[in-house]
Amino acid sequence: MATMKRKWGMAIDLDKCTGCGACSIACMQENNLPMFTDDSDSPKRVTFLDLMRVTNDRDTDKKFGDVETAFIPKMCQQCEGNDPKNPKPPCVSVCPVVATDVGDDGVVSQIWSRCIGCRYCQASCPYEARVFNWWKPDYEGSFKEGLSPDVSVPSRGTVIKCTFCSHIWKRERDRMLAKGVKDINAVLYTPSCASACPTGAIIFGDLNDQASEVSRLAKDKRAFRLVHTIDDKPEEEKKRLMAIKHYPNPKVYYLSSKQWIKDMQKFK
Amino acid sequence: MKIDRKDFLKVAGGAVVGGAAGFVFSGAPFNAFQWIVEWTQDQYVPGSGAERYLQSICQACPNACTVSVRMIGERAVKIETSVGGGCPIGQNLIQQLYHPDRVAFPMERAGAKGKAKFTAQIGDAAWNTAVEKIAKKIGELRAANKPLSIAAINGAHAGVSGLLLDRLVKACGSPHVYTEPCVHGASSAAVRALYNKEGSLGYDFAGADYILSFSARLFEGWGMMADMHKNLLAWKKSGTRLVQIDAQCTRTASLATEWVPLPKAGTEAVLAMGIAHLLFKAGKRSNAANAAAWTQIVMNDYTPDRVAKVTGVPEATLKKIADALMRARRPIAVAGRGAKSVSSSTLEIAAIEGLNSMLGGGTFIETPPTLGAPRYDAAAAASIKNAKTFAGLDEFIKSKDAFDVVFINDADPVYRSVFGKELAKKLEQASLVVAFTTLINDTAAYADIVLPTVTSLELPSVDKKTVVAPRYKAMHAGDAIIAIAKKIAGVADSFPYARYSDAVAAAGKGGRAAGGAPTIPIALFEKYYNTISKKVDDTAFPLSLIPFEVPSIGDGAGLALPYTLKSIDEKVYSRNKLWVHMNPETAKKFGKCEGSRVDLESQRGEVGSVRVHLTKTVAPDTVAVPLGFGHRHYTAYGEDKGVNPKEIMCDDIDPVSGNADWWFTRIKLS
Amino acid sequence: MEILNQIKDEWNAAKTACLNGITGAMKFCKDEWNGYTRNIKITLLVLFGLVGLFIIFGIQILGWGLGYTDMSNLYPFGQWIIGDLGLVGLGGGAFTMGFFLYILRVDKLKPLINSTVLIGFMCYLFTLVFLVFDIGQPLRAWFGYAYPNWGHGLMPQSMLTEVVWCLTFYFCVLIIELVPLPLEHPVLQKFPFIHGLTHYMHKLMWIMAAAGTFLSFFHQGSLGGGMWGVLYGKVVWYRPAYFFTAIVAATAGGTAFMALCAYIAGKVMKKEVVPWDSFQTLAQISGVLTIFAFLFQAWHVYMQATHFVPAFDRSFLDIWGGYYGIWMVVLMFAAYIGAIVLLNVGALRSQERFFVAGISCGVGAISFDKMIVVLHGSSTPNFPWKSFAGYNPTIQEWGIFLGGLATMILIYMLFAKYFPLFPHLNKHGHGEEHAH
Repeated sequence: MATMKRKWGMAIDLDKCTGCGACSIACMQENNLPMFTDDSDSPKRVTFLDLMRVTNDRDTDKKFGDVETAFIPKMCQQCEGNDPKNPKPPCVSVCPVVATDVGDDGVVSQIWSRCIGCRYCQASCPYEARVFNWWKPDYEGSFKEGLSPDVSVPSRGTVIKCTFCSHIWKRERDRMLAKGVKDINAVLYTPSCASACPTGAIIFGDLNDQASEVSRLAKDKRAFRLVHTIDDKPEEEKKRLMAIKHYPNPKVYYLSSKQWIKDMQKFK
Repeated sequence: MKIDRKDFLKVAGGAVVGGAAGFVFSGAPFNAFQWIVEWTQDQYVPGSGAERYLQSICQACPNACTVSVRMIGERAVKIETSVGGGCPIGQNLIQQLYHPDRVAFPMERAGAKGKAKFTAQIGDAAWNTAVEKIAKKIGELRAANKPLSIAAINGAHAGVSGLLLDRLVKACGSPHVYTEPCVHGASSAAVRALYNKEGSLGYDFAGADYILSFSARLFEGWGMMADMHKNLLAWKKSGTRLVQIDAQCTRTASLATEWVPLPKAGTEAVLAMGIAHLLFKAGKRSNAANAAAWTQIVMNDYTPDRVAKVTGVPEATLKKIADALMRARRPIAVAGRGAKSVSSSTLEIAAIEGLNSMLGGGTFIETPPTLGAPRYDAAAAASIKNAKTFAGLDEFIKSKDAFDVVFINDADPVYRSVFGKELAKKLEQASLVVAFTTLINDTAAYADIVLPTVTSLELPSVDKKTVVAPRYKAMHAGDAIIAIAKKIAGVADSFPYARYSDAVAAAGKGGRAAGGAPTIPIALFEKYYNTISKKVDDTAFPLSLIPFEVPSIGDGAGLALPYTLKSIDEKVYSRNKLWVHMNPETAKKFGKCEGSRVDLESQRGEVGSVRVHLTKTVAPDTVAVPLGFGHRHYTAYGEDKGVNPKEIMCDDIDPVSGNADWWFTRIKLS
Repeated sequence: MEILNQIKDEWNAAKTACLNGITGAMKFCKDEWNGYTRNIKITLLVLFGLVGLFIIFGIQILGWGLGYTDMSNLYPFGQWIIGDLGLVGLGGGAFTMGFFLYILRVDKLKPLINSTVLIGFMCYLFTLVFLVFDIGQPLRAWFGYAYPNWGHGLMPQSMLTEVVWCLTFYFCVLIIELVPLPLEHPVLQKFPFIHGLTHYMHKLMWIMAAAGTFLSFFHQGSLGGGMWGVLYGKVVWYRPAYFFTAIVAATAGGTAFMALCAYIAGKVMKKEVVPWDSFQTLAQISGVLTIFAFLFQAWHVYMQATHFVPAFDRSFLDIWGGYYGIWMVVLMFAAYIGAIVLLNVGALRSQERFFVAGISCGVGAISFDKMIVVLHGSSTPNFPWKSFAGYNPTIQEWGIFLGGLATMILIYMLFAKYFPLFPHLNKHGHGEEHAH
């Protein structure tokens, strides 16, 4: 068995995103997310992919006609902290029972059945990406038929999260093994949201592979990361700041040609 | 042996302590904890099975994307699509398929109409009984020479089953077949008026280099989603400019190259004619058959200053758009404001077609699949010939005529029409209402017989591939209609199809036809300027109400699906309250703030309460209200959520399409 | 056969004893109840009512989950965590007093020690109780011991792992410290073994005090400050300096709290339960510690404003908006200053009303600090397009929170009435003179 050389990342082209919501529905279907007859209490919702509607309403000088609106699909940003060689996502070190860890492929994992539900990881997450099962997940009657055996049904009182659909990676690896390919680095896969995107706005791939599309897009002029304004600072300043504290350093990149979306990433 | 009290207590105590210690150190309590955790959670473990992928075609819309369905054993668990295909509707198919509230068996009404109480007929003979009953009733009406009391309402996406139902009702001798209002319906009526042809307006999006959209929310459900997604990618590549005119900064407006804010909602037609005015001045000529009359109206009534006054769009902006259109190689103007649920204004479509007639005609006519005319027997032919018909569904609902048998095919007009309440009364009076549906909705609640239909995944597609066998006793509406028709003497002849798929093959794929020179329905435009400016300046109802649609819910169909409920924006519907969007200036004027509760009141009545969300994405003096909420019956997931703004929306019927033009309503807050 | 008869006899004897016991207990309770004044009766009814709510809502939360709280994915920590932080912080008075009495031999504190140990014990007990309600899977609570997140080496990776273990050990220490209190009951003291045991336990209590101080330094720092300081993704919480602040604040606020509880007990019982001298000594200790706590607080607010918040590319004042904004910080510092002035200036401290105001300020400062941490940390938006969030505890949260506090008060009352909680009372007969 070779060591894992991949580092999975994502690039989302907001210029191509129509906000149709196919990614979020596909994610829920793939990950057996709970169903409720009323899920309008949005802060208690259990979703991995949140389609955030963003406008630049906050700019006081803007009037009707000047504002714009966009949808930002937000899932776990798979942070790695300052040092990618020794990843330190904000949520992993805090877990008292080792229910979450960061894999050698950079994916922040979560063990559904290990979690005691203390929600410390939720408190630590700057992207509101972790969700807690406030109510008992309910799959009324025949809705159970549509559940996938690849992902455990979550328990009430546990935190669950987006894992870049790592179970699909395992599925693909098993397929490769069946073909006799033992090299884990030969296994490629696409998470559910990326494969469902009708405009191909979500690109998934290996950030370690310089030739991959996601690597190319991550270096694009249009690229930015959510609320990660340290990226815009000069090198010297960056070094100074990183000496003070860790930065999430997410592996999900967003692309937009609109300056206002990038401006919205900074608090005023 | 004599055991004294002390010894006894010692032994007993020792046994208890020893047992407890043994129990603890065996690790059993920890296993027990784990077991209790699972037991208290009642954790469901999805069944396993052999994995395979089935290639199929999504039949949710005519675009027919290819999909790959992941199967575990006999269960479908995931839909996989490829780039350039698929949409949230396709992703929702699994939930539609396995919805626990699906109509599983033919059902008969058990309670009062509108209460949605039914008894399921579980036996194998249930379908036969239901079909016999319907056929018998129709036979009686035909025998009594009352075929005109038979009517049918098709859903916007009924497709070939809609054609079959149309055929059935017409062969019986009744022309009363109507389709729920939709973008195709509205443009079909306009095509009839403008081009005297059958079909809906198509736009040459691939060939255009400049697209001027009059509030057509192209990427939010307008037309076919998969098509529009492909167009978006193509336009990015080709550099096609999209200019979106809208009173709300929707996603389409922001994705467009340019957004032209429309301060006065609902004045798109005036704007179109104002631009036409400038084009005339710049030397463009219309190719319309009645170009002279059209030019006269445009030149007299729609001078830039008058247009700017009504629409609120500055003259300079009008000029800029006109200039851009002059410069463009192949510009087109797109009509049909709204997203999935487009309301009817033939006048507006005609005005925009008038504009297109000056731009070299980027439009064509999409001819739908057709089964041709049925074989009328003598009685039916006579009845059809003398019948009074209505231009569209809303006119039909509004009429005083009573109907005895009404078919509802994959439609929810009680919810979707602004005349929902009136239709409900009509359905209450009918002696037999038959609904073909998968879920009980507001309309099916009034049915006497509910027939279970299938979802896209259970349909055999053209190449006869089915993903899963129809669940329970569901049958495609097309098959059911053929079965009913075959039982009616004199009608059976019109149905030479053994099954639905034969009819699909016979109907063909439809096609494209050139429009040619339009004839602008001039009569509609008389006094229009005065009417609209009066409406815009109505001080008794100082605000404009415009609808908007949210992802996955569209015009309400998606609301029964739990994963859709999970993805609703919190400023659309949260904690059982619907939110309406309003400009902060407007809110200030009326003393409202973020989260205020308001009721909305129009001439027709009042809905409420809703909450106010302040956003500058909406024009001042305008209230944007989400569509798709406020179902009374639509499974436990979809009903009693928010309000249905259609209840207060404008009910002026468009004389050409026969449907209400509800998109723009004047209201006040109360 | 014989053995069966014997079991039968035992059973009957036990049954009779039980029945007699119940009748006796009922009669005893009735007599007790009738012996109380009207005010005490009302207080007891309210307290028992709250305990009733605690039981009802406790069953609901444990059985049907945390959906009934107003906590959410945005607000993962709520009222119970404020309770936990507050109780552990205020319970910190126990180890401080233990340290001063048994290690530094400040003997004037002796009349307060029993009350302090009991309060400390209850604070930690109810911290654990609230934690059980607060975690989503109470039945998996033992995972904290079975799968601790130790990381590499001896230092635990997760602050919460450290808290769980330290809290457990210190809770054991508190139990041992508490044992002599019930054993000092005059009835039990007649047994020579028990008398000897309590005597030697008191002699050796300095070991426990030392262990308690050692353990407390860790978990006071971790739970009060470290847990939040490590959250480098969260602008309000990230403040590495907070670890030490929390320890010092706990010693300052905790000692004030111990004085306040004993003072209130004296007022209610209308007796001098603790000599005025002892109160003064404790208040003086608390006053000095409060100065240090204030300095630490000021230091970490300064560090936050100048180093940590700018590192997030945000401005310090901007993060202090919303419902739980800057006013809470101002209030906290006002309480600190109040306590410093009133408890350190001898002329003020020696007047009863200023003494009470001073220790109340001390308790208030640390309570505000904990409220700020929990409420404001979640309230501050993570995305620039979102606004400050609010939190409104539901009736279930209030019921369990207040019910827990009511239970603590009832236990305290029980000990005050039937056990030598205040040994000073016995030394002076029943001191009839009123407390100062």
